[in-house]
Amino acid sequence: MDPITGLPSSRRSTLSDDAHREGLTTETHDWTLVKAIDLVADQKVVVIDGEKPIEEACDILTRNNISSAPVYDASTKSYSGMFDWADVMTYLLIVLKKKDASQQLEKTDAELSAEFNDLVKLASHCQPVPVKLASDLSKKNPFYSVLPETSLLQVVELFGSGTHRVAVVDANGIIKGILTQSRVVNYFYQNVTKFPPIEQLFPKTLNELDIGKGFVISASSDSFVLDALTMMIKNGLSSIAIVDSEGMLLGNISMTDVKYVLRSYSHVLMWKTCQQFVSTVRSRQGLEDGQDRYPVFDARPTSTLGYTIAKLSATKAHRLWVVDERMRAVGVLSLTDVLLIFARSAGANPKPKRVSSLSLSSPTSQSE
Amino acid sequence: MGQSDLDGQIEKLRKCELISENEVKELCRKAREVLIEESNVQRVDAPVTICGDIHGQFYDLKELFKVGGDCPDTNYLFLGDFVDRGFYSVETFLLLLALKVRYPDRITLIRGNHESRQITQVYGFYDECLRKYGSVNVWRHCCEIFDYMSLSAIIENKIFCVHGGLSPVIGSLDQIRTIDRKQEVPHDGAMCDLLWSDPDDIEGWGISPRGAGYLFGGDIVAQFLQNNNLDLIARAHQLVMEGYKLMFNNTIVTVWSAPNYCYRCGNVAAILELDDKLNKNYKIFEAAPQDVRGLPAKKPAPDYFL
Repeated sequence: MDPITGLPSSRRSTLSDDAHREGLTTETHDWTLVKAIDLVADQKVVVIDGEKPIEEACDILTRNNISSAPVYDASTKSYSGMFDWADVMTYLLIVLKKKDASQQLEKTDAELSAEFNDLVKLASHCQPVPVKLASDLSKKNPFYSVLPETSLLQVVELFGSGTHRVAVVDANGIIKGILTQSRVVNYFYQNVTKFPPIEQLFPKTLNELDIGKGFVISASSDSFVLDALTMMIKNGLSSIAIVDSEGMLLGNISMTDVKYVLRSYSHVLMWKTCQQFVSTVRSRQGLEDGQDRYPVFDARPTSTLGYTIAKLSATKAHRLWVVDERMRAVGVLSLTDVLLIFARSAGANPKPKRVSSLSLSSPTSQSE
Repeated sequence: MGQSDLDGQIEKLRKCELISENEVKELCRKAREVLIEESNVQRVDAPVTICGDIHGQFYDLKELFKVGGDCPDTNYLFLGDFVDRGFYSVETFLLLLALKVRYPDRITLIRGNHESRQITQVYGFYDECLRKYGSVNVWRHCCEIFDYMSLSAIIENKIFCVHGGLSPVIGSLDQIRTIDRKQEVPHDGAMCDLLWSDPDDIEGWGISPRGAGYLFGGDIVAQFLQNNNLDLIARAHQLVMEGYKLMFNNTIVTVWSAPNYCYRCGNVAAILELDDKLNKNYKIFEAAPQDVRGLPAKKPAPDYFL
C-alpha cells in the first residue's frame, strides 16, 4: 500500500498506459451496477427476537461483535426495527437521568450494579422491557430494506444521505444480510483498482475535496459523561469529541462505548467525567487487543482521501476527526461523507437527511 | 545534588518508596543534562541486556534485575514504556531515571509511545502522579524528561533498537539523526512512526489499526537492514505471551518485559542478553510472587486493568 494515497503500491496513477502489471487485473468495472446481494453473500445474519429483554439483546450484540441487529416481532411477523447501542444509551439516559451524581459517587460498585439492574427491570413499571419496544428509541437507526438486486449506486446514495445500514431482504421477506456503510467502504478499498473513477479520488486531499471541515460538537474532559451523552442524543450524534481546556482533542465517546458500561461493576462509569470514561474504555480495548491504540483516530486536512479510507478500514472506525497542527478538531470525516463523495462521482446527489458535521453551525452547541 | 543524596534516593526507590516533589524536580534537572547529550540513535556497547515494556510493574522490574543482574553490574538498554497501566509507574520511572543519572554509561533509556503527555493522561500515569503527590507537578517534570529521551539505539553498529518500528519516511539511520526529538510525540510523521509501528505478515506498508504508525512487512525489514548494514531490529511495544517473539526469519524480535501484564494476562516476560560477540541469550521470567508485592498505598482505580 502506498502510505500517502492508500492505493496498492504498484498503482499510483490510473492514467498510465501500461497494460498488465503482474498480479493485478486491469479489468475495470462499473461499480454502480454491482448488486447489494454481492456484498453480503457470505454473511451470517443475527436477528433479535422482539420479546427478549434488553439485557439479552445487548449480550447478543456484544457476543457477535456487531453494533446493530434487526428485531423480529413474531406477533406481526415483521421486523419492527433495528436495535443498536444508541438505543441502549437512550434507554439508559431516560432511566438514569433522575439520579443525583454526587450521591451516586458515594455508592460502591456492587451497590451501583444492583441498583442499575433493578432500574432496568422496573423502568416500564412491570417486566423487563422487551427489545421490540426499545428498537430505534434513538430515532437514528430506522429499519431500511433493499432488494438483493438493488444496485450499489442506490445503496451508496442512501448511505451518502446518512443512513448507516440497510437490510437486504428477498421477495419472501427473508433477510439475506445487513449491508453497512463500513462494509461498502471496505469493498471499495479492497477493489479500488477495478474502479478508475474511485481510484482517481484516492490521491486527492480532504482540502481539495472540500470535506472533513465544519463545526465539531465537543464536551470538555471535566464534564460528566451523562451530560455528554445527553448532548449526543439531543444533536443526533453517534460520537462526541472530548477536548481539554485548550481545545485539544483528547479522545471521543461513541455510542458503541456503552457496551463497556454494561459489564458488571462498570456501571459506575456513567457517573464519571468524560476523561475518566475515555481512559477506562481505551484501557480495556488495549488489554483486549494486546496493544494500546492512539486515543483519537484522526487525519489532517492535507491527508488524502485514500489514506483516510485506509485508516477507517484498518481501525474499523466510523469517523476520523480532522485536526490541525495543534491537535484541535477542525472537522469530522465520517463514512457518510466518504460515500457522499462516491455517490457524487457517479452523478448522484443525495440530500443529507439530517444535519451532518458538514454544515452544523448550531450556536448553542458549545463545549461544556 | 551530591552523589550520596542520589544514592539515598536510589535506596528509597529500590524499596518502592516515593521521593519528595522537590527531589523529583532536582533529579529531572540532572537527568536532562545527561539525556540532552545523547543522540537520536544512541550508541550502546556490548555486552548489554535489552528490556521491553515495563508499564509501572515495579515488583516485576525487581524480578528483572534479579534475573539479569543489578545495575551497574549489568549494562542495560530499556526500550521505553516505563509508565501507565501498572500501579507503580512513578516509582518505576524514577528508579530507572535515578540509575541513569548515577550510572549514565551503564543504563540506556529510549522513549516509548507511552512517554507522552497525551498518552499518560489516558492510560494512568497522570492519575497516579496526582494521587500520590496531590498535584500534577511531578507529572509535568517527567513529561519534560520524556521529551529529551533518545528515539533509538544502535549496538555495535549491528543491532538497531527502537520501541515500535519503522517509518515509510525513514530509510537510513542518518535520517533519524536529523529529527528534532525535543517535543511531545507528534501524532504522525517519522518520530511518531518509530514509537508506534508494528511488524506484520504483509508485503510493504499498511495502516496500523492502532490509529498511529504503520504496519510493515518482512520485505521492508530486509531492505532496512541491508541499506544500513545491520543484522537485527530489536523492539517492544506489543504484548507477547511467551515473552519474546522472532519474526521474518529472525531479522526482527519483539521483547516484552512485563509479566502477567496488568496483573491478569498470564504472560511471561523476557530480556535479551547480548554478550560481547553479540551472541543472543533470551531469559524468561515470571511475575514476582504475591507475598513480595507491596499493597498499593491507596485503593487503586480498578479502571486500569479491568
